Amino acid sequence: MPARRTSALTAIVVPILLLAGCSTATSTAPAEAAGEPRSGGTLTWAIETEPITLNPHQYAQAKARLLVWNSFESLLTYDEQGRLVPWLATGWQAGADGLAYTVTLRDGVRFTDGTPLDADAVKANFDKLREEGYAPGVAAVQLRNLKAVEVVDPRTVRLVLTAPDVLILDFLASPQGALISPRSLREATNLKAGGLDVVGTGPFILDRYLPGQELHYKRNPDYDWAPPTASHTGPAHLDGITYRFLKESAVRVGALTSGQVQLVEGVPATDVPLIDGHPQLRLIRELNSGSAFSYYFNVSRAPFDDLRVRQAFREAVDVPTLLTAVYQDTATRAWSVISPASPFYDKRLEGSYGGDAAKANNLLDAAGWTQRDADGYRTKDGKRLTVRLIQAAPFVRDRRDVLAQAVQAAVKQSAGIDLKVSLVDQGTAVKAFDTNEYEVFENSRADTDAGAALNLLLHSAGGINRTRVHDARVDELLEQGQATADPAARADIYAQLQQVVVAEQALVLPLYAPADQIAASNTVGGVRFEPTAGVPASAYDLWIGQ
Amino acid sequence: MTVTLDGLPAGATVTTSGQAATRPRRRLDIGLLAAGAYLTVLLVAVLWPAALAPGDPLAADPRNVLSAPDSGHWFGTDNLGRDVWTRVVHGAGHSITIAVAATAIAVGGGVLLGLLAGLTHRVADETLSRTLDALSAFPTLLLAMLFIAIVGPGTVSLIIAIGLVTLPRHARVVRGLTQLVRRCGYVEQAVTFGLSRPRLVLRHILPNAIGPIPVLAVIGLGEAVLIAAGLSFLGMGPQPPSPEWGAMLSEGRNYLHVAWWMTILPGLAVTATVVSLTVLGRHWQRRLDGRQR
Repeated sequence: MPARRTSALTAIVVPILLLAGCSTATSTAPAEAAGEPRSGGTLTWAIETEPITLNPHQYAQAKARLLVWNSFESLLTYDEQGRLVPWLATGWQAGADGLAYTVTLRDGVRFTDGTPLDADAVKANFDKLREEGYAPGVAAVQLRNLKAVEVVDPRTVRLVLTAPDVLILDFLASPQGALISPRSLREATNLKAGGLDVVGTGPFILDRYLPGQELHYKRNPDYDWAPPTASHTGPAHLDGITYRFLKESAVRVGALTSGQVQLVEGVPATDVPLIDGHPQLRLIRELNSGSAFSYYFNVSRAPFDDLRVRQAFREAVDVPTLLTAVYQDTATRAWSVISPASPFYDKRLEGSYGGDAAKANNLLDAAGWTQRDADGYRTKDGKRLTVRLIQAAPFVRDRRDVLAQAVQAAVKQSAGIDLKVSLVDQGTAVKAFDTNEYEVFENSRADTDAGAALNLLLHSAGGINRTRVHDARVDELLEQGQATADPAARADIYAQLQQVVVAEQALVLPLYAPADQIAASNTVGGVRFEPTAGVPASAYDLWIGQ
Repeated sequence: MTVTLDGLPAGATVTTSGQAATRPRRRLDIGLLAAGAYLTVLLVAVLWPAALAPGDPLAADPRNVLSAPDSGHWFGTDNLGRDVWTRVVHGAGHSITIAVAATAIAVGGGVLLGLLAGLTHRVADETLSRTLDALSAFPTLLLAMLFIAIVGPGTVSLIIAIGLVTLPRHARVVRGLTQLVRRCGYVEQAVTFGLSRPRLVLRHILPNAIGPIPVLAVIGLGEAVLIAAGLSFLGMGPQPPSPEWGAMLSEGRNYLHVAWWMTILPGLAVTATVVSLTVLGRHWQRRLDGRQR
């Protein structure tokens, strides 16, 4: 693993006994300013992004992940070393040919509506996920190789596959694989949007949702099935927690310094000195796993159908200078489509391209964009070299709008490229993507297994294949990566893939490795990140000191 | 001619009690001079921005972001390293163009509807007037936001929105004066002489019914600058990276405690413009009252 376990709060020792249940899970809570963990009290946490849905099956925003795990849980999860460990399962066993996985379920788990968790409930979830029109992205990608889910006995399910697929286990640990009560699946008034009547097995129960304002969770008193990665067992410490949606970073930080909230996430670089210099506050930061924040070039239309124009765009941007300007020194540059926090990250790409304005201009000259118009933009046959970046508001975080403006100015000044940036609502963005009216798509994903992210982003059939690349070699490598169990062999496959996608075809401009920053009041204990994913963890381990 | 009308919006009073006329004539009005000087500079900024700031308002220097005002950048630089002075100067064109165009719509439409209401029969007049009353019952900003929410953000929709929401006040003044003027002796005489209706309206009624409109328009211009900045701040006007003042305020809001100059200086430009236009409008209004007395 790369050096990323920097948080002082995550020194958790977890003995893992696969197939042996997790009752032996123990942990040593590090010394904190907040003292010893204690039960009771409520907290308010200001978050940057309002979820577009509260149904975990429909999960799409990395920033919503910390909410999912409050009220929903998956069969498996990841530990600090990036290994899968059981959660609602007690264990799993792969069939000899890799075409079946048998999962045994933990006893005594109940959804918060009283329904017991059994094999039928698991099957109901998978059946729902594969239902036409319910979660098309999940059905087409993550569950592509799933043939059937069989109920062996009330405590055992078997997943039967059409082809070997190691990512099915990652799916069992993902938010989309979280289990919803079968009763909610049948009876919820608006299942896809989620809400108070869509419930899971988690340590908290959603009891208030005011769109545009806040979410409130109360403790689930019957909770007794914490994952081995948590630092305690039994019900959550807090009586309840409120998440307020504060989109403006200045407002979030102001709410924290004035004591209106005890935790904020999404602390902008310019505010870091303010938190560091404050005696009652502390800042914690961790890199996300999954894919790096990158610009994806739409190769299905001009001008990015020309490799030279894609390369020129990359050369025109001096990424480190822009990152320093926008994020001061807090951002980590990305060189590949995969985050440097992932074990599949290909280090060879570092320093292999970018930041050479002269090269950018030569490439554009060679591609025929030789004329300049009155505004200084390059033209060819009287047409301006214009590319459009569509930013969907629910996914704009970390000042990505400001970064886009910086890139816009950079490509204009160094190469005469006209980057048009539009920040629009989700509906408008989806329409632009569906009708192919864009040239640049920006994205990062916090998937625990980077392969899952790449399947969505680069496979011909991927749900968000916005480069619109249809390349047999890319597809083949992705499928091999999905079918290979040996981690070293997988790393090799993904390294080849990164060479094709980043080095040879220049499909992406990787910008930075997404990270989460949490600023917390010193009275709050148990602030931590989700192991491996690197995003803020759920509220389960949080407590308020004396 | 002294005209008093009920129900005029505050700030649109056609006459005043005559304070200005009775006060001894001041030799030097410093406020007026300062407003005039500022508006002259502003006019230069609108017509020939390069004279004041030769740089490119969009030119970013990522190596020099958020630097405080100094001799090189005497308004400092913003979060992308753009020169704030250059952006404020070039932004004048955006803000003033929007305000002028919006006021033109308000005045043109207002005069037309006001004349129509003032000259037509009861039913048509009542319908028009009550519709305008209903429109003015909503806060202007809210109404403009509603309009932009429907047609989408951008410079053109911003202009139309501000024009529409400030139109009723002009219409009401013109309607009141039209009704007054059409009952004046000289109009009645003109009718007796058999003047055609269009000529009557154009030559006798219109010139006398729009007397206070220029003053109202100048004051309205200030308000239009303010509404435009407000709506742009909310992202409903020119889109980034346009150096519009409201948009600049919006960009600077998250940097307020590290780079006050990003927000305060464009904010001062808006304030100075609104104050200057109001001072000028009020002065003009006082002079007009004096003459009418």
